[in-house]
Amino acid sequence: MTKTKTKPHFSRKLLAIPYGLFLAFFVLIPLLIIVYYAFTDDNGKFTTEYVRLFFNDGGDGFFGFFKSYTFKTIMRSLFISTMSTLLCLFIAYPVAYIIAKCKLKNKSVLLLLFVVPMWINFVLRINALKELFVWMGTYNRSDTWNMINTIIGMVYDFLPFMILPIYTTIIKIDKSYLEAARDLGATGARAFVKVTLPLSKAGIISGVSMVFLPSMTNYVVSNYLTFRNVKIIGKLIDDYFMGDLWHDGSFIALVLLLFMFLITWLTGGFKEDSETVGTRGTALW
Amino acid sequence: MKTKKEQSASAIIELVDVSKEFDGVTVVENMNFSVKQGEFVTFLGPSGCGKTTTLRMIAGFELPTAGKILLNGEDISILPPNKRPVNTVFQKYALFPHLNVFENVAFGLKLKRVETTYVDKNGNEKIKYKKLPKEVIAEKVRKALDIVDLSGFEKRSIATLSGGQQQRIAIARSIVNEPKILLLDEPLGALDLKMRKEMQLELKAMHKRLGITFIYVTHDQEEALTMSDTIIVMADGVIQQIGTPEEIYNEPNNTFVADFIGESNIFTGVMPKDKSVRFCGKTFPCLDSGFEKDEPVDVVVRPEDIKIKPPADDLLNGKVTSVVFKGIHYQILVQCGRFEIEIQSTSAPEVGATVGLAIKPDGIHVMKKIFRVNQFTGVITKRNTVEFGDGEYECDVTQLYPGSHLDEEGYLITAKGEKLDLTDTEVNVEVGLHDITMSDNLDDSGIAQGNIISLIYKSEYYRYIVRTDNEEDYVLACEDLWNENDRVSLIIPKEKIRLTLKPAEGNKQ
Repeated sequence: MTKTKTKPHFSRKLLAIPYGLFLAFFVLIPLLIIVYYAFTDDNGKFTTEYVRLFFNDGGDGFFGFFKSYTFKTIMRSLFISTMSTLLCLFIAYPVAYIIAKCKLKNKSVLLLLFVVPMWINFVLRINALKELFVWMGTYNRSDTWNMINTIIGMVYDFLPFMILPIYTTIIKIDKSYLEAARDLGATGARAFVKVTLPLSKAGIISGVSMVFLPSMTNYVVSNYLTFRNVKIIGKLIDDYFMGDLWHDGSFIALVLLLFMFLITWLTGGFKEDSETVGTRGTALW
Repeated sequence: MKTKKEQSASAIIELVDVSKEFDGVTVVENMNFSVKQGEFVTFLGPSGCGKTTTLRMIAGFELPTAGKILLNGEDISILPPNKRPVNTVFQKYALFPHLNVFENVAFGLKLKRVETTYVDKNGNEKIKYKKLPKEVIAEKVRKALDIVDLSGFEKRSIATLSGGQQQRIAIARSIVNEPKILLLDEPLGALDLKMRKEMQLELKAMHKRLGITFIYVTHDQEEALTMSDTIIVMADGVIQQIGTPEEIYNEPNNTFVADFIGESNIFTGVMPKDKSVRFCGKTFPCLDSGFEKDEPVDVVVRPEDIKIKPPADDLLNGKVTSVVFKGIHYQILVQCGRFEIEIQSTSAPEVGATVGLAIKPDGIHVMKKIFRVNQFTGVITKRNTVEFGDGEYECDVTQLYPGSHLDEEGYLITAKGEKLDLTDTEVNVEVGLHDITMSDNLDDSGIAQGNIISLIYKSEYYRYIVRTDNEEDYVLACEDLWNENDRVSLIIPKEKIRLTLKPAEGNKQ
């Protein structure tokens, strides 16, 4: 008798299987379904009809697209997310900087003050904010106010996502860099601009991508805070799907996906150099 | 001795009574020294002795709690670092990772503003602060990189450089600003031995070429001896000695310096008369004088100052216990009675041979003994008492192991529940000056008895030295006056005897 069977060899590669399955079922297959719907008609035949519809929605010719409802919605979404991101950055950077630099022993408690609101259900918080706007009389007062309220809501919702990555990069900056800058003749302010700011770049990029991209599509905020009067791209897709227009909706979703891809690529999100990987990785997720 | 005024005349930097406390803990205490223009000065001391803190105070990263720092006679104690004409090379280089080599070296130059006077439209002379022109910066950076032997590295990113190269860039980044003083905080600590030796010589050469004052911090005594014009030896925030490498090595001020710099044999001895010192049971001629009769002293003998000869009556005779080849010389250990003596010699005797040791008068260095505490080696007896010096005393053996206690049979039970028999354990015994009292009751059996051989009036008390018949000396303080040669017994309360375990053989250091 000889044993020919060897024991099943457990290799580390096997550990990747659960993640691989997850990736396939929840990322890859849904993505393929979107692509399928975007380029087929109701009978399942290949068509570019929805590409044409997307671009020619507002009228004939190439320039028709720029008058279209879809284009306006994209522009509105871009405006809201740009403003929200900038505001978040201007609030979050000083907050993160002050917490990181303060001499308190329990810095994490201070940080927690900004993170704790995330533990409360987000719809509940947005509703509470709405009640506040109603009380102040700015709720649904005008188009401008609707815009402002949406941006305030986005900033309120996404602020912790900006503070955390910036805080983690600032706290990691070796203080000898600052001492070296001071030693070489920089004033405190110059040392900040020349050393702290560039060295916290990774945190800023990480924070920006974590605020900018979700605030393009988070239509819960705009719906609740503006009596559905401010429509962003996420809402547009939702509207198509609700109206059983799966093909139109899928194509817009695809465009949005390409858009995000582009932004991530532009901000260096795909770069694998050690400097950014370390800080991005530990930032939040 | 120079007066303070004379010192500051040639001094580029001077520290006057500088102290630094962190949260109530004194790190640097009452520091006074001055550095001459163009000197290479090294702070040498074990880690935590305050040398880096002192350097950081000169750089401006820490402000002194008390005292003044003078640069060319001007008080700069509270000036921020960017206002001081001083640059630092950091321990871990602190090169900016987001900038390339050129940008790192040019960092200080780009911040520099040059005063230029010009005549405005109305004919008034005005002062304007101008940036350095780009070509000037580029030229200066090129020269600085040339000095550190890294020409052509301008475009390289910091992450691609080796430790030694980063070190050089850090130096270039500092010297390019033409500082009055260059501070170096253990700059070679992260390099391997061979690289370190090379950089030591290079730094020394650079110092000569540039003529800038270097203040260097290290814990490596060899590095300090190789490079410095002046060494400042520090321990526990206090300067132990300031001197040239030769002075520090040959004439150490105290046992700390002697022990820290190089190898040394340190003995406790007495000075029976000028130019004569008695230790290890023999009297040797020496060059030191000015001590009181029979004053206890520390004696330092360097291993290379002891010559091995055939045994003779007038020499220190002992048995060779170990011979180790060290490359240039042999390290030989000779046991002379209770004393183990280290000798360095180019020829080696047989292990086990009996030899005589001769020490020339100039090889013996006698230092004033600073008495803080009586130190003995003792042995624990069967009855859990301790025998040391020339007597046997009751003691508390449980202090050897924290949390332990004695059981009824006299065994020690440790905190972990282990049962130990301490009989014949060797221990270090420490007894404070004020913890020994003298008694003229000589019946007490067991405890040490001896004659008072010296008494010195110390304003608050008399300091007595009591010598037993076996030549063990006890130093004690007493407010009452006794007479010299009185025979006394020495009483030491049980709780005043401090015991510590001797480190196991082999890992003494």
